[in-house]
Amino acid sequence: MAVLQRIGILAHNTLRAAARQRLFHLIILLAFALVLGARWFREFNFGAPELKFLADCGLGAMGFFGAALAITATGQLFFHELETRTAQTILAKPVRRSEFILGKLLGVGGLLLGFCVALALLLIAVLWSRESELMQQLPEAFENGRQVNYAGVLLAGALQWLKLIVLASLTLLVASFAQSQLFSVLAGFAILAIGHLQHLAHDAYRRSASAAVRLLGGAVVSAFPRFDIFGVADGLDAGLPAGSDIARVVAYGLGYAGIACALAIFSFGRREI
Amino acid sequence: MALNPSARAPDRCAVEMRGIVKDFFVGLRGSRVRALDHLDLRVAAGQIFGLLGPNGSGKSTAIRVLLGLIQPTRGEARLFGLPGTDIHARRAVGYLPESPRFHEYLSGRELVRFHGRLCGLQRASLHARVEAVLAWVGLGEAADRRVEAYSRGMLQRLGLAQALVHDPMLLVLDEPTAGVDPAGAADMMALIRRLKAEGRTILLTSHLLGQVEEICDRVGILDRGRLLLEGSLQELVGDADHRWLNLGSLSAVELDELHSWLVARGHPAATLSAGPARLDRIYLNRVAGNPP
Repeated sequence: MAVLQRIGILAHNTLRAAARQRLFHLIILLAFALVLGARWFREFNFGAPELKFLADCGLGAMGFFGAALAITATGQLFFHELETRTAQTILAKPVRRSEFILGKLLGVGGLLLGFCVALALLLIAVLWSRESELMQQLPEAFENGRQVNYAGVLLAGALQWLKLIVLASLTLLVASFAQSQLFSVLAGFAILAIGHLQHLAHDAYRRSASAAVRLLGGAVVSAFPRFDIFGVADGLDAGLPAGSDIARVVAYGLGYAGIACALAIFSFGRREI
Repeated sequence: MALNPSARAPDRCAVEMRGIVKDFFVGLRGSRVRALDHLDLRVAAGQIFGLLGPNGSGKSTAIRVLLGLIQPTRGEARLFGLPGTDIHARRAVGYLPESPRFHEYLSGRELVRFHGRLCGLQRASLHARVEAVLAWVGLGEAADRRVEAYSRGMLQRLGLAQALVHDPMLLVLDEPTAGVDPAGAADMMALIRRLKAEGRTILLTSHLLGQVEEICDRVGILDRGRLLLEGSLQELVGDADHRWLNLGSLSAVELDELHSWLVARGHPAATLSAGPARLDRIYLNRVAGNPP
């Protein structure tokens, strides 16, 4: 119980630190601006494709700015504690290093949760508003009722959040042994890029005739998560993805986050503070 | 396994460091720098122990090893009989780091509450304890100000408040007056004297030898990671190499006669000269005489 309490206190403090960082305010504002302004990027007036564009734009903003937030918040909030030596004061108290790492991750997770929930709700409001307008302007295109699956939008937001948690865990793993914040942040973006291009490597190595390439490709695919897997729902499908598919993605994300977190704890446990 | 913070038995060993070696590896080639060289140190409960040494002598490294912040290359550090890495041992310790910085977005009160909660203080006792330590260090009126607005002296006092919030048996103070103006340093020393009067065990490092001499029961002099000298102040100033003669009652003429008498017997002219405080002289002699 005391362990959970200490992790909660550290997570709360991390979230409080994040809430007062101007860089994070800027990232969040940009994401909000993109979702709100998406419908004015072009003059769309031809029904469902516009809604598809709005949903893609909103989920894209969540993915892109969320990734920037996950990487910079994790790197910045972790290294700030080391550079200002506030970590020394905390770890000289009855606090385990594992609790410190979990507190940081949960604090960043809380920040990302707030970001994803707020953006998903904003996206739903924008989609609902535009869909209502289009239903009046083009009633024949909406003969079967609303086309946006709003539960799907929420599900897509939840899976984006899980993806961001995986990214934050991997960035924290790098930060646990890295000597500079810059390195951690750059490594975080590299992991993001690799994770999004994983499916290409996956296809390429499986087609290769060379055993060495297949081995190397397999190692890369195993070491880095595939971020495209988290895009199983986009909100405009007729129905939600199957429960088993969602469970598989959740297990995949939690598995990667758990392994990255365990390695970060191991690495940070050996670090000289 | 848990310690009882109210038990301040004087015969217990609060700090025990045995054969501590700490090597750092620096640069691309990984050159070894020995920061602590077979350090043995023992601080009994209820004692005020002053660890002295020039910059880079290993004082802060010794403290970080003691608190489990870094692992020694060899040797063992214990707090009240438990390894410093054990969180039960750290429950009994309050730590004020050198030139402390705290979470600047918090107010003084929020910061002390944060540290109190980390130490397991429950809400019922937390509020009273936080207010008590803030008032004790003289920050009661500034408690709602953000830490970023605190002066250096106030930061030191806030550091002491967070170190004391859980009523620890042992206080580890790393250069508690470093970088503080004379008035702030005097305030801090007054607080440490009050802690001494309460019977707490204190391990402190300092450059201000006069102040250490004033409050410490025992002193250790560290240089290049080696403990050159360790003992009570009485033992140190009574060192066979350092006898002291009080010449305060002699007139200037008598002092001149004594000086001539010494020179005539082949003693160096500087043998009889006004000098700094006694501990200063011992410190300078030992550090200057420590071979690299």
